Amino acid sequence: MANVVTSSASSAGHWLRPDIVRQLIWYLLIVVLVFWCITAPSRDANLSLYFSFMMWITLASSLNFIAGFAGYMPFGFVAFYGLGAYGTGIAVKVLGLPIWLGVPCGAALGVAFALLVAPSLRLAGIYFAIVSLSLAIICQRVVALLPEWLTGGSLGINLGVVADREHGYYAMVLVLVGVLVTASWLARSRLGKALKAIRDDVEAADAMGIDVARSRLKAWLLAALFASLVGGVDAWFTGAFDTQTAFDVLVTAKTVIYAMAGGLGTALGPVVGAGVLVWVDDQIWRAFPVLNNFLLGLLIVVLILFAPRGIVGSLMQRFPRLRRYVM
Amino acid sequence: MSDTVLEVQALTKRFGGLVAVDGVSLEVRKGQIVGLIGINGAGKTTLMNCVNGIYRSDDGQVRLNNADITRKTPHEIALAGVGRTFQVPRTFRRMDLIDNLMVPLLHTDASDADLTARAEDGLRQVGLYELRHNHGEELSGGQQKLLELARVIMLDPELILLDEPFAGVNPSLCRIMLQQIEKLRDASKSFLLVSHDLTSIYRLSDHLYVLNQGEIIAEGLVEDVQNDPVVIEAYLGN
Ligand SMILES: Nc1ncnc2c1ncn2[C@@H]1O[C@H](COP(=O)(O)OP(=O)(O)O)[C@@H](O)[C@H]1O
Ligand SMILES: [Mg+2]
Repeated sequence: MANVVTSSASSAGHWLRPDIVRQLIWYLLIVVLVFWCITAPSRDANLSLYFSFMMWITLASSLNFIAGFAGYMPFGFVAFYGLGAYGTGIAVKVLGLPIWLGVPCGAALGVAFALLVAPSLRLAGIYFAIVSLSLAIICQRVVALLPEWLTGGSLGINLGVVADREHGYYAMVLVLVGVLVTASWLARSRLGKALKAIRDDVEAADAMGIDVARSRLKAWLLAALFASLVGGVDAWFTGAFDTQTAFDVLVTAKTVIYAMAGGLGTALGPVVGAGVLVWVDDQIWRAFPVLNNFLLGLLIVVLILFAPRGIVGSLMQRFPRLRRYVM
Repeated sequence: MSDTVLEVQALTKRFGGLVAVDGVSLEVRKGQIVGLIGINGAGKTTLMNCVNGIYRSDDGQVRLNNADITRKTPHEIALAGVGRTFQVPRTFRRMDLIDNLMVPLLHTDASDADLTARAEDGLRQVGLYELRHNHGEELSGGQQKLLELARVIMLDPELILLDEPFAGVNPSLCRIMLQQIEKLRDASKSFLLVSHDLTSIYRLSDHLYVLNQGEIIAEGLVEDVQNDPVVIEAYLGN
């Protein structure tokens, strides 16, 4: 018999209702996070660290749309990030567009690619993961083979003075807000429930009237949109990239690890996972410049062993009452 | 026949060389509970999977209210009015019970508050309301079967396919299950009830089909089928 997850019976209609408290906590978190990041330049803080903090939260959150909600783990997730960067670079260098218009072009390229490979979602489990990984590798090879005037060849694309670093930083804040608001909407929406049903049992969801193909396509496109926006904004911030950095499998690996460490399937999980691990990574790196990767790896193994559902997921499993307060 | 809800005609489903369903024809009328019995491996679940579109049949036709649904997808068939439960319960493990029951309602344009109210009411009907904030995976096997029944009721289908609803369910939960089925029958819902357990199915069914190695070997009223030597032989072994 299950332990009954109780609720205070008198709470209906009260402003302290769990769903309202849940939203208050979440939006407060967003406000604090954004304020803290947006004021970083004026505090002379380490912008690279803040930027990577926002970038990984955004990537982990967008991965969560497809992996956490819908249950499809894309091992080739970096393709969206890379295409976002290249789309942006080409729009700026070849078409001569201003960078703030280049980033949406990069996002459009990422989303178009997502549409193109959407039939791979018909595959289940590990088959989908492997095909996704292969598609990302193909993507990298194709970009590497494109003519030099378009993609800069092996030197990649250098945006140089076109891309103002601080503007790129603020663009990242915007994308972060976008992904967090989308995540909270998804967590409460009917689409989110349909996706979770698909994740838990795709045949049962189908038999209960859920249009599986349509629902998961929406999640897929949302994930691609934000991941490619990050690619474009990262190009804006750093100013240069090539096929090695833009399609680095480590981008996928880190995104997956951060999202899982926090916990897939809630809006909060990836934020906590990426936030904590980026910070820990930075601390370890300062304290142990030699052993940092080993220690981080060890920490991740311990986390997976003792909290297989991630920090947030495992807390919710252990303390079921928390569930109703977590977005 | 105008009151025929489900009509299966010469349905065949093969897995490689194995013919799991072999030219089966059957019919369910409005307000009827039709039983489908047969030993393990007879093809009962496969037939059900063909009717609700999870499997694509190799031959034959499925008609719902005289409309051909043979090639439709499971969600189209669900929205057309066919609900089902599964032999091994398939609840949404990591969704709470209210959300579990809301899934079949997501396509409607009722308000969220309305959906919640209907889901809560559905849980009360089967005595799971107290557990409404628990996740599907936290229920016992029998409770999961009840949750599945409550979930399919939410879909408000005309025809309900029940795959071994009583298997592994304790007597007190069985009673709730029986009550719900009878209540739905009184509301003119139709059932195709699959079981290899004979007691409950003899009690509920208006009409019986006996499936053996993919073929219907007998059909008729419960009394007739019960005493049919062919059926007795199929059950007791050759
Ligand atoms: N997906 C499948 N692939 C291959 N064989 C299957 C599959 N599903 C069922 N079968 C076979 O079809 C036959 C009928 O199975 P099933 O419909 O589950 O029987 P029942 O529900 O009457 O116990 C069995 O021999 C079973 O092994
Ligand atoms: Mg069966």
